[in-house]
Amino acid sequence: MAGRARRITAAYLLLSPALVLMLGVLAYPVGWEVWISVTNFSSRGPGDRAFVGLLNYRAMLHDSEFWRGLVTTVAYLGVTTLAKLALGVPMALLLARPSRWRALVFLAVFLPWAFPGGITVIAWYWMLNPPLVTSYAVALGTLKHAVDVAAGGGAYAFLSVVAFNVWRGSSFTAVFLLAGLNAIPTELFEYARLESSSVWQRFREVTLPLLRPYMALAVFLSFTSAFADLANVWMLTGGRIVFPVLGTQAYWLGIRGGQFAEAAARSLSMVPVLVVALALLFRWFDRREDTVDAAAPTASGRSLGHRAAA
Amino acid sequence: MRRRTRAAGHALALALAALYSVFPIYFITVQSLKSPQEDVFGSPLWVRHPTFENYQELFAGGEARVRGYVIVPRVPFLGWVANSTIVLAFSVVLTLGAAVPAAYALGRLRPPGWRWWRRALFATYVVPHTILFIPLYQVVIALGLDDSHAALILIYATMALPFCIWILSAYYGHLPREIEESAFVEGATPLVAFLRVVLPMSRHVLVAAGLFTIGTVGQDFMFASIFLLDPGQQTVAAGLGVMDVSLEELVTVAGVNLAAIPVVLLCAVFARGYVRGLTAAMVEGA
Repeated sequence: MAGRARRITAAYLLLSPALVLMLGVLAYPVGWEVWISVTNFSSRGPGDRAFVGLLNYRAMLHDSEFWRGLVTTVAYLGVTTLAKLALGVPMALLLARPSRWRALVFLAVFLPWAFPGGITVIAWYWMLNPPLVTSYAVALGTLKHAVDVAAGGGAYAFLSVVAFNVWRGSSFTAVFLLAGLNAIPTELFEYARLESSSVWQRFREVTLPLLRPYMALAVFLSFTSAFADLANVWMLTGGRIVFPVLGTQAYWLGIRGGQFAEAAARSLSMVPVLVVALALLFRWFDRREDTVDAAAPTASGRSLGHRAAA
Repeated sequence: MRRRTRAAGHALALALAALYSVFPIYFITVQSLKSPQEDVFGSPLWVRHPTFENYQELFAGGEARVRGYVIVPRVPFLGWVANSTIVLAFSVVLTLGAAVPAAYALGRLRPPGWRWWRRALFATYVVPHTILFIPLYQVVIALGLDDSHAALILIYATMALPFCIWILSAYYGHLPREIEESAFVEGATPLVAFLRVVLPMSRHVLVAAGLFTIGTVGQDFMFASIFLLDPGQQTVAAGLGVMDVSLEELVTVAGVNLAAIPVVLLCAVFARGYVRGLTAAMVEGA
């Protein structure tokens, strides 16, 4: 029993640097954001902050702008994620097949992700929104005008963020899923080849289910990068992107308008969506790990405890 | 015949994937090699008389230069690169330094609720960063890290840690116990067994975690530009972001390219290890 207690103590000691770091940096900011969202804190109002309960959330739900922002945000996440999968899965399958050019193409596919996103987005943005003197400025200006007229002001700049996020994210997804494909025993694919002749059927019934946990992980990480890219461009352009997304709305309310409480409520409103995504991710992953643990009981931590007790 | 069409299709698909991935970087590079004249009158898709003047401009010292009727401030590009290098290196060291023991604890020692610890850490990705920098700034000031690289290093580490702990703990959890036991038989302590046997075995996963951290640090522009206001402390991202781009867009783009080169080389060297490490973490049972 003493061995088990010592093992647990050691585990928590080893865990503590990471926990201290995470809590030290994030606990206060997250708490602040949640607390502020239930007060009337604003740089316009009186100095003292009063607790107002869910008033900010209720007001938010009655605001049609919020719903537009929510729809755009969910669409942004959905479209970028689907595009990353639609491009990343075929590229991963392509790179998994041996060929003479594979090594070179692999490096090319890796490149968008390797190019540091925080600075590439600066170049990307100015390439797609060039200063007036540039040789292709007129052509792109015409395109920008057409897009903005068709889809609303700021649509072109917003779409350039979408394109950037997809370009960089599909690279990450492709390489990540290539690693996932490598982790799947080849016998499974060979067996599937014997069982069915249709490529599409094989893909749908064998490859896709086996890849699903890795795809879930890639999708979740893609969400975080989608938010990061949006925030980067917003900062870069000093808030010139006016397309209604929850993040931008929160910035406008908080930084420009000083209405911190409403801004906090708005930025927290995406959390439920992400929590659902996370729950699905955990389900897919842990189900797989449970089957692994059942198959290989020696790998379970309990065996050490037993031995220590004996 | 059918085999040849398929081979051709395969080659075509490979070419398309490469083209799609490389084209934006090619486009950026073409612009960065242009002279002001060619920027106005040339073609956007190729450069006829490549020049390095935009790159040289990044290294030209002094306060400002005069171009036509405008005064263009010069930038301390080398200082930015040095700052970025410091931030990147310490972020990786701090992330891995905290992730490895934590992952060993969760994957190998498995305290009660280890799965929930791992989930809780991963769940921090749900936290919206939108206006988080306001309270984060309060934390940074409370820690006395205003205008310091340490603030960024701490924030980047928290962004990379959950994923790094996840893959490392998956790998440590799947390693057969016999691997350490043979070291125990020879009288090694758990620490020695870990350092001599387990850690070297996990080197590919460490590479994967390290590259992921580099990617996370490289992705940020927002925090760098918020927390580093002193020009002497700015990283490449923070510095390039505030350049007067409408006048100096080609120099900015050249700076983007130049700063990316070392990171890209680093990634290219470790690209195989990255995939191998991710695979090792994903393999069932091991």
